Amino acid sequence: MENPQSDRPTQPYSAHRLPFDADLLAIGIGLALAALIRFGIIHQVAF
Amino acid sequence: MPTQTAQRPIATEVPLRPAGLAATLPGVALLFAIGLAGKLLERLFAVLRTQHHLYLPHIEYVLWAIILGLLIANVFGIAAVFRPGVATYELWLKLGIVLVGARFLLQDVLHIGSLSLLLVAIELILSLSMMTLLGRIFRLPPKLTSLLAIGSSICGVTAIMAAQGAIDPDEEDTSTAIAAILALGAIALVTFPTIGHLLHMGQQAYGMWAGLAVDNTAESILTGSLYGQDAGRWAVLAKTARSSFIGFVVLGYAVYWASRGQAHNVEHKALFLWQKFPKFILGFLAISFLATGGIFTASQIDSLSNLSRWAFLPAFAGVGLRTNLRDLVGQGWRPLLVGVLGEIFIALITLGLVYWSYNLGVAR
Repeated sequence: MENPQSDRPTQPYSAHRLPFDADLLAIGIGLALAALIRFGIIHQVAF
Repeated sequence: MPTQTAQRPIATEVPLRPAGLAATLPGVALLFAIGLAGKLLERLFAVLRTQHHLYLPHIEYVLWAIILGLLIANVFGIAAVFRPGVATYELWLKLGIVLVGARFLLQDVLHIGSLSLLLVAIELILSLSMMTLLGRIFRLPPKLTSLLAIGSSICGVTAIMAAQGAIDPDEEDTSTAIAAILALGAIALVTFPTIGHLLHMGQQAYGMWAGLAVDNTAESILTGSLYGQDAGRWAVLAKTARSSFIGFVVLGYAVYWASRGQAHNVEHKALFLWQKFPKFILGFLAISFLATGGIFTASQIDSLSNLSRWAFLPAFAGVGLRTNLRDLVGQGWRPLLVGVLGEIFIALITLGLVYWSYNLGVAR
């Protein structure tokens, strides 16, 4: 039986940490965009 | 939660620095360029099909974004200058989820979200048990088994990263578990829409299934979106319900390994739960609350929904860019086999749960 310890990825996982808290920034940007749309500063967004 | 999301790294303690932000710009530009190229290719194919009568398949921009990302990452590789910015796909993903809250009335969130929570609880118990059993059968290292169980039952890479600090695994175990979960997410992108079409699943039922069964948040929403826009929205709701369990499961494993003297004790459990809770869900609920309260007009809700699609565009490109096909075959057969068997089990269990919910009229 193969040694489980040999079952390794060829390249180690190298995470790039973001220089900010993505959760809080997403909430902040989301609420800001909602406010801009609500008060007519951004009129219409197409996709 | 690809909360991970993710996905790749979780939010960080590194303070906001202009130099750090500037370093992300090339990668952010690459994400948006790939997403926009995907949209252009979708339109180009449509024009060639309708005006020039060429026999070309209809390929959604979502799929184009993944294909282009995969090609760039696996043929050319990603230059170091782009990597910090590519990691921001997590931010765009979370922003998209927050904004799509405008499409959900709070009563829908409470009804379907509560149903999701019930289904997630059942799925969690069964999938954690099955992955643990499979890990023992295939003689995986115990902590690798724990990581695979956490990653496949909750939200993929984010859950694994959260568990890494809590159960002190070997770094190789973390890498192996993440590689396996990312590989399985890539497989789900292909298999789930096919199965959904074969079973003639409705948008809502399919979206719920994708949200409950696919591990990473990004891949989960992407798997839903490949089936249709509505399916993508419902996948977001089911996935966020699932991600909310992350703290409890990681805490359970942390306490278990600490009791065996192989991890640090968790002193403040309530604080631990709050730290692990994916906060972006609160933003999703806040926008949904505002929409339910009639704050926005119908066209404003359309605009918010379109903004969420703009935010998902670079996030989907990021999924392709971070999928390393060499890792699919380079991680060894055993963890991948355990992952595949476990994922098949989870997919079948959640498919059964979703069918049960819709056939019995529990969901509407």
